[in-house]
Amino acid sequence: MTKTILAVDDSGSLRQMLSFSLKAAGYGVIEAIDGEDGLNKAKRQTVDLVLTDQNMPGMDGLSLIRALRAMKNYQNVPILMLTTESGDDIKAMGRAAGANGWLVKPFDPARLTEVVKKLIG
Amino acid sequence: MLSQESAPDLMETQVMRLLSGVSTHGDQHLAEVERDLVQMDVLLNEAIKKLCASFMAIHHAIDLQQETLKSMLSTGKPAPEQAARLETLREEIGQHVGAAVTGLQFQDMTSQLIGRMVQHLAGLRDVFGVLGTSEPADLPESGSDEMLAMLNRLSDQIGARGDERAGATARSTVNQRHMESGGIELF
Repeated sequence: MTKTILAVDDSGSLRQMLSFSLKAAGYGVIEAIDGEDGLNKAKRQTVDLVLTDQNMPGMDGLSLIRALRAMKNYQNVPILMLTTESGDDIKAMGRAAGANGWLVKPFDPARLTEVVKKLIG
Repeated sequence: MLSQESAPDLMETQVMRLLSGVSTHGDQHLAEVERDLVQMDVLLNEAIKKLCASFMAIHHAIDLQQETLKSMLSTGKPAPEQAARLETLREEIGQHVGAAVTGLQFQDMTSQLIGRMVQHLAGLRDVFGVLGTSEPADLPESGSDEMLAMLNRLSDQIGARGDERAGATARSTVNQRHMESGGIELF
């Protein structure tokens, strides 16, 4: 069965690149334009992995992770941050919020799919 | 009386305070815009360089693939080395497309920088806007106390608008200097 990934980023081109790379690796992708949109889509369908940006208008990535972790069906779903930020402080906040990993943009499609495969097969 | 200082001294102090406020806030905004422009120049140059290299490499690999396919079609049945060659080319094309995908993401980062620059330019407009609120007709005709009060008010407004902007202008999160893909850390 095809595994589904929720890709949350306010940049249309970034979502397009994510979708292109993950679909080429055989995953299904649901796109969301910000944290709130991501949360709504996650509520409608439980996905296998969440990939989220940090800085977005409205609900940011950390808030989205906290909201997802508060939901019973997202307590064990892998969540990865994909952001331009790479500071230790924000990484620690991501970890505390419940992120399983931190990827710094720009991503390399091969390395991204390698990580996703490691987490969800 | 405002103080024991003479009126001309106070006036000079207030004018200097106002000019200093304009200079400081204007300079901060321009420094941020300058920083982002430099960063954007680095990113765009690197992105174009990488994208050009990726597309040239993809073009070359596809040419080779076409030649191999033509050769296979002419013989009717693919030789093992031809099949292996096609597989190698497929992998090469995949790698070049991956590199192009990495390069294309720099548009996202430059758009973040442009957004920040726009906010700083708006900050600069605020500073000049505060100065522009005093019409010549509003200027006190005489009396240094009124003039001092007006200068003081303008300085306070510039300071307050600067503080508001500082809260609204997001710090830059785009610090990448290279076109390589970013790090990955699993917790």
